[in-house]
Amino acid sequence: MKNLYIFIAVLFIPWSFSLAKYDEFEDGDDIMEYDDNDFAEFEDVSEDTATESPQRIITTEDDEEEATVELEGQDENQEDFDDADTQEGDAESEPYDDEEFEGYEEKPDASHSKNKDPITIVNVPAHLQNSWESYYMEILMVTGLLAYIMNYIIGKNKNNRLAHAWFNTHRELLESNFALVGDDGTSKEATSTGKLNQENEHIYNLWCSGRVCCEGMLIQLKFLKRQDLLNVLARMMRPASDQVQIKVTMNDEDMDTYVFAVGTRKALVRLQKEMQDLSEFCSDKPKSGAKYGLPDSLAILSEMGEVTEGMMDAKMIHFLTHYADKIDSVQFSDQFSGPKLMQEEGQLTKLPETKKTLLFTFNVPGSGNTSPKDMESLLPLMSMVIYSIDKAKKFRLNREGKQKADKNRARVEENFLKLTHVQRQEAAQSRREEKKRAEKERIMNEEDPEKQRRLEEAALRREQKKLEKKQMKMKQIKVKAM
Amino acid sequence: PGPPEGAAFPPARYKPPATETNPALEDPTPDYMNLLGMVFSMCGLMLKLKWCAWIAVYCSFISFANSRSSEDTKQMMSSFMLSISAVVMSYLQNPQPMSPPW
Repeated sequence: MKNLYIFIAVLFIPWSFSLAKYDEFEDGDDIMEYDDNDFAEFEDVSEDTATESPQRIITTEDDEEEATVELEGQDENQEDFDDADTQEGDAESEPYDDEEFEGYEEKPDASHSKNKDPITIVNVPAHLQNSWESYYMEILMVTGLLAYIMNYIIGKNKNNRLAHAWFNTHRELLESNFALVGDDGTSKEATSTGKLNQENEHIYNLWCSGRVCCEGMLIQLKFLKRQDLLNVLARMMRPASDQVQIKVTMNDEDMDTYVFAVGTRKALVRLQKEMQDLSEFCSDKPKSGAKYGLPDSLAILSEMGEVTEGMMDAKMIHFLTHYADKIDSVQFSDQFSGPKLMQEEGQLTKLPETKKTLLFTFNVPGSGNTSPKDMESLLPLMSMVIYSIDKAKKFRLNREGKQKADKNRARVEENFLKLTHVQRQEAAQSRREEKKRAEKERIMNEEDPEKQRRLEEAALRREQKKLEKKQMKMKQIKVKAM
Repeated sequence: PGPPEGAAFPPARYKPPATETNPALEDPTPDYMNLLGMVFSMCGLMLKLKWCAWIAVYCSFISFANSRSSEDTKQMMSSFMLSISAVVMSYLQNPQPMSPPW
């Protein structure tokens, strides 16, 4: 048992030494130096101090050991430790003398009394520090700009490649159907440029004309704004796809009078709100095309059932079913005038000009991540366009349909006139007042008093006549009413 | 192969769509960005705010990227030059680096 206690004591002495040592070196001295050779330093310390220190150490160690080791009797332990410690104390505990401890305690007081003057640390301005790191915000900004420029170049090139891939795929079909492929309207003679017209970094045009039935066809490749980094980031939140918009302007004699649209439900709802002709002539909600074998994603907006029946022939249904994912909307209209114009109340005095048009909007597959190869899949859609042109020429309404269509158009015109009636009246009124004022001014400006009198009399007579006429009319109306 | 007989001759010419009559068809982004860029450059110059000047540079770049080909290059260049001058002036007056807002 005694031997066990001695062994434990022997273990604890170096442990407590190391703890005491760490306290002394709190101010940041390198503790690593003292891991194994902790006690090498203290070998040279004189014997005089050695006798005092063991007792101190013993007492401190006693406290520790009483707390940590459960021993039977403290007195017993004390005696044991006394014996054990004195031997070790000589060799290892010299530095922990009173003087050293006292000095250590006093030192902070001494240092406090000396440092009465506060130390001021002056902030060196950042631009004098000669370090690039302080300009990190500027570096960030410039990096952002460089990233924007890089994206601009990459996006522009991608759009360019896609456009040319589309054109190369479709060139043959277009050249076989149209005499003039590619025109920018600037050259004197009507010669095919055979090139796309670049309107923007993301919009390319192609004008084709010189075919029976249609006046011309404008193809717009509306790509996504890949050259604008903001747009690219916005598209990460909300995916969108490139679009190909084809607008065929028909000759007046080559198309009958009807308004018809087919496309995705979402697109049709939007078009019905935005487009002047669809909102006026197709008042019903888009109907499902399931009756004709169309997939659920497509819906139909039509002026009358007869038109739908006529349009939905086998080939058209085949086109629509097979390429439903690429079709956004298809609109045939003889009253096409573009989107509704937001005009002020007083300005709408006449109906906007209309043109017989077939409008096709196709989505490029890939939903933004398109490659030039995807352009080939749009070729069948161009065939559909050509087929539709011929179909529109061939399709004629029967007598009933024609009557209905004429009635619809008359109705729309009447509504429009009613709406603008008030404005037109006001315009007429203001014109009359203007005339009167001009006349009065003329009379006033007339220097000759004779002439003035005569003009005044003439004006008075005219007024009286007008009043008589009105009265006559009122009488007539009263008589009729009776 | 050519188009079937009966096509109009000479074929109809391309007429650019009249966007002046229907301003709703135009994309307003480049005009807005131009204006915003000019406003920020003026703020940056007058109030000596570096971040205003930097945002002006960004606005003029965005306006350039979204511009139409028919757009006047002079306007684009002037807006760009104004924003660059705003940045340069802010740094000449106060060479300290920009401090982040947080």
